[in-house]
Formats: sequence, C-alpha cells, structure tokens
Amino acid sequence: MKGRWAASLLAMILVSLTLTWSTGALGQFLANGPLPPVPVPPDNPQTDAKVRLGAQLYFDTRLSADNTISCATCHAPKTGWSNPHPTDTGIRGQVGGRNSGTILNAAYMRVQFWDGRAATLEEQAVGPIHNPIEMGETLENVVRKLNGIPGYRAQFNTVFGTDANPDGIAKAIAAFERTVVTGPAPYDRWLAGEKSAMTPAAVRGMNLFNGKGHCSPCHSGPAFSDQGYHNIGAGMDRKDPDLGREVVTKDPRDRGRFKTPGLRNCALTPPYLHTGSEKTLADVIAYYDRGGIANPNLDPLMLPLNLTSREKADLVAFLEALTGTQPNITPPALPEAGPAQEGGSR
Amino acid sequence: MKTLRIALAAAIAAATLLALRPDPTGAVPVFARKYGLNCTNCHSGFPRLNDWGQRFRANGYRLPDRENEEKTVLESPPPFALRTSHGYTYERFENGAEGTNASGFRVHGLDVLSAGVIAPHVSYLMVYPPQLAESRGVQGQEGTIEMASVVFSGLGSPWLNVRAGRFEPAYAAFSVKRHLSITPYEIYDYAFPGGSPFSETQEGIEVTGSSRGFAYAAGLLNGSATNRSSDGPSDAYARASMVIGAGEGQTAGQRIGVTGYLGRARPLEGLTDLQTYSRLGVDASLNLKQVNLAAQWLYGQDPKALWGPGFADDACWSGFFAELSWQPLVECVAFARYDLVNGPAANEEDITRLTGGGRYYFADNLALHLEYSRRTLDTPASDDPTEDLATARLDIGF
Ligand code: HEC
Ligand code: HEC
Repeated sequence: MKGRWAASLLAMILVSLTLTWSTGALGQFLANGPLPPVPVPPDNPQTDAKVRLGAQLYFDTRLSADNTISCATCHAPKTGWSNPHPTDTGIRGQVGGRNSGTILNAAYMRVQFWDGRAATLEEQAVGPIHNPIEMGETLENVVRKLNGIPGYRAQFNTVFGTDANPDGIAKAIAAFERTVVTGPAPYDRWLAGEKSAMTPAAVRGMNLFNGKGHCSPCHSGPAFSDQGYHNIGAGMDRKDPDLGREVVTKDPRDRGRFKTPGLRNCALTPPYLHTGSEKTLADVIAYYDRGGIANPNLDPLMLPLNLTSREKADLVAFLEALTGTQPNITPPALPEAGPAQEGGSR
Repeated sequence: MKTLRIALAAAIAAATLLALRPDPTGAVPVFARKYGLNCTNCHSGFPRLNDWGQRFRANGYRLPDRENEEKTVLESPPPFALRTSHGYTYERFENGAEGTNASGFRVHGLDVLSAGVIAPHVSYLMVYPPQLAESRGVQGQEGTIEMASVVFSGLGSPWLNVRAGRFEPAYAAFSVKRHLSITPYEIYDYAFPGGSPFSETQEGIEVTGSSRGFAYAAGLLNGSATNRSSDGPSDAYARASMVIGAGEGQTAGQRIGVTGYLGRARPLEGLTDLQTYSRLGVDASLNLKQVNLAAQWLYGQDPKALWGPGFADDACWSGFFAELSWQPLVECVAFARYDLVNGPAANEEDITRLTGGGRYYFADNLALHLEYSRRTLDTPASDDPTEDLATARLDIGF
C-alpha cells in the first residue's frame, strides 16, 4: 500500500512540476525571441552627432584610395546592406575571397567577419579601409584626407574633441552601424500573439527549423546565431579551401569553421554562405538537405535531412518571415571638399 | 488504488492538454526541455531516434562538439519526463476451435524517465515504470527499474565510451525501447526457457566507440536470470557496424552490422553445470529518402540441456524481421513488418508475425498510434494458434 501511495504522490508532483516548467523557456539554447535593445560598449556611447558623422563616412567614397569605393558600395542599403555578388569586387576590380556580410543587425554579433577576426564593430570598421583589395587606402592617408575636409574636421572636433584619427573614424562608423538594425519581423509579431502574421507554411517551417531540420542548435538566440563557429562544409570541396577560423586561431580543429551568421533579413542578402555559392534560400536548404559537403572536420550535427519538397518550401517560407522592418536611412549629404584638400589619389 | 487512478487520470489529462497547447515550442521531455529543442530534433517519429539523436545518445547524452557548453542536471530544468499511452485495444486468441477475445479502453502503463549530465564526461539515464496494479482499464506493471545506467563518454578518444548499470545493450541493433510498433520483434523475444532474449534490458558494462562511419560495441553482462550471483558476469558480446554515406543509418546513410554473443546459463530445472550458448546476428538499416528498411537476421545455438528433457540434440534456431517504414512528413509515419522465427527442430514450432501500422503526430510529443498485427504459431497440429491485435492509442511524452 505504501508503495502505491508513493507512486501516486510522485505522479502528482511530476505532473504539477512539469506544468510549471514547460511554461517557461528554460532551454540551454536561447530561444529565438525578439531582438533586445542594441548593445552599446561603454567607451563609445551613441550620440546623434556621432551617428550622423558615421553615416557620412559610411557613404563616402573618399575613404578609398581612388575615391571610388565606400562601405556602401559593398554594403548597399538597397541590397540588404550587403551586395548581390558571390564575393566582392573592391578597388581596381580586385575580387576578394568571401561573400560580404550584412550590416543589418551586425551590432548584435559578438564577433565580426566570417572568421571572427574582429571582436567589435569598432575594430572591424577601419579594416576595409586599409584592406588592399577592399578600399586600398592607408589609415594615415584617410586621416589626412578627412582633416582636409573642413566639414569632417569640425564634426570630429565636436564629437570627439580632436581632429579625425583612426579611433574616431572607427567609433563613428560603429555608432552608425548600431542604428542599422531591423524592427519586428512577421515571426516576432507571431510570437507576440498575432497568429496571422505568419503563413501556415512559415509556421510549419518554424517547427522544422526547431526540429527535423536541426537548425536551431546553431541558429539560436534573438539574432538566430549561436555566435559560434561551425564547419558546415561550404567550399571544403575546393582545391584550396578557405580555412576559416583556423586562419585566426591556427588550431587545426577550427579548419573550415565559420561564424554562424544571423538569419534575420537573410531573404534580402543573396547569395549565401561565405563562399556566396548558394544563390537562393532554396539552394541553401537544398545544401543542408544533402547534409553539407563531407570533409574530415564536418560538424557532427550536419546530417542529410530527407526533407520533402513541401518541407523545403516551408523552411524557406519561415526564413522569409524573419525579414524585419527596415531602418529608414538615406545616404546623407557629404561635406564638400575644402580648399586645403590634398586630392584623393596618389 | 483510487488515488492512483486519479493521479494517472490527472497525468494523462495534463499531458494531453500540454501536448495540445497551441504553442508548439513548449511541452517536451527531458532532453528537449534541457536544450529548448523540439522532439523532432532527435526523433524521426518519436520514440524512434534519428541520426542526430543517435549521435547524441552515443556521445553520452551530450551534443557532439558542444560538450563544453553542456549544463549539468543541477543547472538545467528538473530532469524528469513521463511517457504514457492509452487507448482502445482489441485482441483475439484462437487455438483450434477455441477463441477468446479481450478488448477495451486501457491505460498502457506509465514510464518515468530521468536523464542528464552529472559532470563533464558523466551522464545518466533512468527509466522507472512505477508499480501499477492491474485493474479495469489499467494494465498492471511492476515497479522495477527498467533502465538505470551511467555513461562515461569522451574519455580522450572517440573509441572509448563506457556505459554501466542496467541498459539496453548494443547487440539489439534496432532498439526495442524506441521502435515504431507496439508488437515485439519476435526474434528479439526468442530464447530457451528461462533464457534472456535480446529484447530485455541487462545489467553489465559496455564499451562503445565510433569514428568515420565505423562503430563497435562490446560488453559483459549478468545475462540470464538462471545464473547464480556467484557466477559473476557471465555473458559477453561484441558488435561492429559501419555506415556508408553520411548519417548513422537511422534515417540517413546505409548501415550494416554484425553481432556475436556468448552466454552461459543453467537449465530451469536440474542442477546441470553452466551451459554455453551463442548468437550470431547480421543487420542492415537502409535508407532511401523518406523510406527506411530495417532488417535483422539472428541465429542461435543452445546446448540441448537448456531446452529441457525433450531435446536430444543441441537446439539451433534462427529468424529475422524486415520492417519497412515510410515517413512522408514529420507528422506521420507508416510501417509494415514481417517476423519469422524458425524454432529448433525438436519443438517444431515456428512463429510468423505480420504487422502494419502508422503513427500520426498531432504535436511533436503526442501521437495517435494505429496498429494491426497477427501472430501465428506454426505447429505440427492442423490448426495453428493465432493472435490478432488491433489497437488505437494516444502516445504521449512530456
Ligand atoms: C570591397 C567590398 C567591401 C567594402 C568596400 C567594405 N566591405 Fe565590409 N565586408 C566585405 C566582405 C567581403 C566581408 C566579409 C569578409 C569576411 O568576413 O572575411 C565584409 C564584412 C563586413 C562586416 C562584418 C559582417 C559580419 O557578418 O561579420 C562589417 C560589419 C563590415 N563589413 C563593415 C564594413 C564597413 C564599415 C566598411 C567601410 C569602412 C566596409 N565594410 C567596406 C566587403 C566589403
Ligand atoms: C552546425 C551548425 C549549423 C546548423 C545545424 C545549421 N547552420 Fe546554417 N549556418 C551555419 C554556419 C556556420 C553558416 C555559415 C557557413 C559558411 O558560410 O561556411 C550558416 C549559414 C546559413 C545560411 C546563410 C546565411 C548567409 O547570410 O549567408 C542560412 C540561410 C542558414 N545557415 C540557414 C540554416 C538552416 C535553415 C538550417 C537548418 C536546416 C541551418 N542553417 C542549420 C551553421 C549551422
């Protein structure tokens, strides 16, 4: 008799506990909830003047060696703050090795670039300027050019209390990038209770994303990225594959690992993967369905999915439901070249 | 008794409610709750594991390659889950002219599961069906620990993981605890009188490992209940398998395996010395898109003493099953199976079973299970005894 009492008590306790637990999202993987406020580093607070300055720098081709390329050339607002080329064409038509990331919500990523070689937007921002195949300019030259433009010089002094310098350039661009964030997507509205915000296909796609598709362990959190690095095999069948994270860490275990990109707004930023090799979201899904490209370092969670064509379409519908309201940013008027300007090209 | 029934009813009602909640990302059993994942991450038609779930299990209930992010049971939601199924079952037994029926709405048991990571490299899994007394509408069950094992994994090499305690040994290439149908794999249920069939959980220790598609398992077990405790661990087995193509052979990749088993047991009656018996198994799990073919062949050789006085020669028997399943969508899976056991020549009894069924998932963790199965015992007599089973159940995990 005692045993039975114990058993029924146990059952009762379990039922009530389970009821309580399952109402809260307690999982180890952060739920793919709405985006929180943009994280801002304490040493670079947002101010309107700084953001305005950053916007001008972002759209200004004078930051490049031959005055032809700005950040916006490769990260154009019209094309999802990214660009439609598999890999980028920078200064003097040189082609880089990787697909450009998007600036949209980059502020939510804990590291920047596919291989995470820059920790912050500040650290990242001056990189392209002196990357020989992106903007191909030296920082010294850029600083000199900017200080030769009275409009810029004045703004730098107002915002930072000094003339333009690499630190100020980085901080201003980063502050601007922190405004390039998107508002609620149909998915967020659906989460908030507006059940008509997502189509039935997108809802099915969401269940696949969290289930049979095994996407959410990597694409977790509000930005749909675990902020980690994984080898999903992209480009690993090439003769001379991009080693990805290994380039930074020199650890062979990191071979072919790339940062998990966030997936919000991904419908706006084809082509996909660091190789830019998948032209559409349907292609990306087909790539996952095959289980990626086999290589010795392939993530153990990459497996063929046996998705049906309806399921593939459902997943695409879900990814499309992650497109948020876009930031309303138009290219600002740029300061006129002043009399003291030394000329853009060398 | 009444309290128990009320508790059970409450459990089922709560489970159904939870499972049917409109929010599809909530009610999920122990691992799913821990990671915040859907059941279908690890199951292709729960309780069957998919390749992802198989890797997770093989890795000691830790996500491969993310072991250092793993939370322990203390840091995770309480590590319990329940599974119960209830529904209508119709059974008919026919033996010559005699026939009996048994049918009705029943609760088919309740499992309490607990699992989690205890420390880096150490995790556990426990399945406890609490004692239920047989009564109208409730199928009785003994309150024994069905499984309780500790897994030591990631011990420096992918070739060394250790599982100890009571568990389902790796010689059952197709888990009996996680198969799609309710009716048993006949060949896994087959044994000499008092012997332990493959379908039983066992106490012992098992080492496993895998790398690049190759896997092995070997273990020492207490084995048959007819051993005396002084016999010590008496059974040993080894298994090797390989997968061709990406996957684990569960729903992707083609897996073939071979198993050998050596056991020692005493006859039920008489004080004979320990007798050594053996098993040899070959299995395959083949996948083509949404279709899986699971096949197992098993051969057994037992000393005549184990089968009892009627046996003049050692007993050789064999059998197989082949199960075809098709999962056109996550929400549904259909299966059909043929079971055959060629019993030892001396007892002239063969078993055949034909089974068909399907599961429809209203939610990840709530399935409607339909199954029909007919088992025939082929005997020298003209009328073979048959058993028919038809059932419609709800299967709930939460
Ligand atoms: C020639 C084209 C080009 C130009 C010009 C360019 N970028 Fe990029 N950008 C890229 C490419 C390609 C990547 C990805 C490279 C990588 O990850 O290794 C990238 C990555 C980034 C990222 C990281 C995104 C992520 O998901 O990790 C940020 C932020 C960024 N760029 C900002 C800028 C800023 C600010 C400028 C102007 C100062 C700029 N880019 C100029 C091509 C360009
Ligand atoms: C093992 C971790 C992992 C899993 C599982 C995973 N992803 Fe990814 N995902 C990544 C990584 C890493 C990249 C970038 C890889 C690269 O470019 O080499 C990526 C890239 C993508 C991209 C391209 C984004 C862009 O801007 O180029 C999309 C879309 C995507 N994943 C969707 C999915 C979907 C849908 C699933 C489930 C079917 C999924 N991912 C499963 C890690 C993962």
